[in-house]
Amino acid sequence: MSSAGTKLETESSAQPGPKLRALLVEDNALDAALVVRALYKGGFDVSAHIVQDEAAFTQALRTQRPEIVLADYNLPNWKGMESLNVLRREGLDIPMILVSGALGDVTAVECIRQGATDYVLKDSLARLSEVVRRALREKDERSLRHRMEEDLARKVDELARSNADLEQFAYVASHDLQEPLRMVTAYTQLLAERYRGKLDENADKYIGYASEGAQRMQVLIQDLLAFSRVGRNNAGIGSVDCNAVMADVLQTLAPAIQESGAVITHDALPAVWADRTQLAQVFQNLVGNAIKFRGKEPPVVSVQAEKTAQRWQFSVSDNGIGIAPEFAENIFVVFQRLHARTEYPGNGIGLAICKKIVERNGGKIWVESRAGSGSSFKFTLPFHGLDAAEGSDCEDIA
Amino acid sequence: MALTRQKGVIVKILLELLVVDDNPADIALVCEALAGSKLHSKINSVGDGVEAMTFLNRREKYVNALPPDLVILDLNLPKRDGLAVLAAMKAGPDLRRIPVVIFSTSQLRRDIVRSYEMGANCYVSKPGNLTEFFSAVKSIEEFWFGFVNLPPRGE
Amino acid sequence: MNPSEVDILLVDDSQDDVELTLHALRAENLANRVFVARDGEEALDFLFCAGPHTERSFDHPPKMVLLDLKLPKVDGMQVLKQVKGDPRTRTIPVVLMTSSKEERDRAIGYDLGVNSYLQKPVDFDEFRKMVKLLGLYWLVINQPPVTNGNSHSVAQAK
Repeated sequence: MSSAGTKLETESSAQPGPKLRALLVEDNALDAALVVRALYKGGFDVSAHIVQDEAAFTQALRTQRPEIVLADYNLPNWKGMESLNVLRREGLDIPMILVSGALGDVTAVECIRQGATDYVLKDSLARLSEVVRRALREKDERSLRHRMEEDLARKVDELARSNADLEQFAYVASHDLQEPLRMVTAYTQLLAERYRGKLDENADKYIGYASEGAQRMQVLIQDLLAFSRVGRNNAGIGSVDCNAVMADVLQTLAPAIQESGAVITHDALPAVWADRTQLAQVFQNLVGNAIKFRGKEPPVVSVQAEKTAQRWQFSVSDNGIGIAPEFAENIFVVFQRLHARTEYPGNGIGLAICKKIVERNGGKIWVESRAGSGSSFKFTLPFHGLDAAEGSDCEDIA
Repeated sequence: MALTRQKGVIVKILLELLVVDDNPADIALVCEALAGSKLHSKINSVGDGVEAMTFLNRREKYVNALPPDLVILDLNLPKRDGLAVLAAMKAGPDLRRIPVVIFSTSQLRRDIVRSYEMGANCYVSKPGNLTEFFSAVKSIEEFWFGFVNLPPRGE
Repeated sequence: MNPSEVDILLVDDSQDDVELTLHALRAENLANRVFVARDGEEALDFLFCAGPHTERSFDHPPKMVLLDLKLPKVDGMQVLKQVKGDPRTRTIPVVLMTSSKEERDRAIGYDLGVNSYLQKPVDFDEFRKMVKLLGLYWLVINQPPVTNGNSHSVAQAK
């Protein structure tokens, strides 16, 4: 039968506050008392429990919830270092300090290597309270850091899930909204055509409003769908030859180019690591905008690429109407427009899509412009995919 | 009205269309689009896949129906979907020659490919705005009833 | 021309008819994506990526095949049979455009799964109109089962 352990308590009126719960592994009563006294002299109010074997130790761990373990090296029925195994088995992160007679440096270092937090010689107990203080402080820091890491992991998880939910919602909403909207659009248009001039004077106007509203909604939903689709399908990531992409884009924009008399030139462009379809979308939106937001002269657009330390920097520059600097960030926000719908068509989603794509591929996008003097839209892409990029691009912006 | 030569004699053929769509609003739109056209004489319509087969097999209330010269088929139908109807048509010796135009809102690659694989003659996406919808439907009729040589009638 | 960019495979051995067709397609801006095969064997090599066309791939089929019936080496019906009989090519829309008035040909063609069957008009203007409508119908209104990386997949800019 193992001894249940004995208790030693200090009573201090000068130091109010919780007592340090210490678990001593010590068979010599005098030595135990000396340890407690050393702690008391060092400023601790102590409640110490003393055990001599594994069973009592394990029991005490569970019932006393000690903050620190102070163990002798050699006992008749046990070895002090074995307490570490028990601590590990119980899953407890409690500092263990070896309080022992002369051990020799080699053994001491070995003990620390095996998990003892520190060791104090029985004839140098004056150090003990400082050692205990440090051990407790380190334990607190460890616990705090652990908690913070868990918190962070949990938050990242929640955020990822929330993001996925939002994207899913945006996609489903815009997708499912299309069908009933199609009905409203078709039939308001039909009503407008069929009954023009046949009902009272306000009818044409009202039907017209309904019809226009429905058609605008249709385009908005399609744009939202396009926006929410970005990033849903990353299947096409690989090495992309930007010259080939530009050729495709020019073909798609051929009618607009012809109609506006636009002149579009580009440097020899590099190959980058990206999703081909998405990259084409970025070029198409930027070049398309350059053509659309033109001034009185036919648009002149040039596409260039420049190599910086870690990235390619592309620029699409035009001689169009330009953008006042105070709006330079605004224009990348979904549905933000700077002009009335009657002046320039569109919903203001093209640039938001560009931004989403560029950022998903590890780059940044911005504009350098002044009202009335053309714009230069720039974006960066890392050389070899997201692994090579090192976070944000701030240093690349002048 | 289309003209054809049968046994050396020019004969007027009255062309009939079958529209299979579960949305009566879309069926009405198709009829609106083709209103006034002289290329067809009759537009029949059914709202689900089972009724489509009942019509095509001339059963129950469709005992006296004539086989259509063109089927405009939606994909998402209740009871039996468009692809199942297509498969059933291609399996029947007297139905499989009838041209089928898939007319659906779906733009999914797999729907388009499956339709072709199962023998649809072509695939047209239902346009979102009215003008394009009308234009698409009119083009379908103009092409199939105005230009194409349709398969010879069974009887 | 990049072999993966062909929209129309025109199979016809009549030089006059080929020129007429190309002329009509050119008016619709489709002519630069037409490949002409003069006989059934060349048509099959093209579609099955064989012979001189091994650089072609089954992933980039033409959007439409305009096929005449009377062809040297391998006739049109044979070509149709092989194309519609092979899962790699059976989804390619095939339009038989022929001067044949044979009802039997129509019956066999539809049985084999031809997408549509047209008789070449004798009149020059009618021919042109037909080709124009064909091009518009099969390349614009119709959705082919191809996956070329073209404008279909890129959203319109705003």
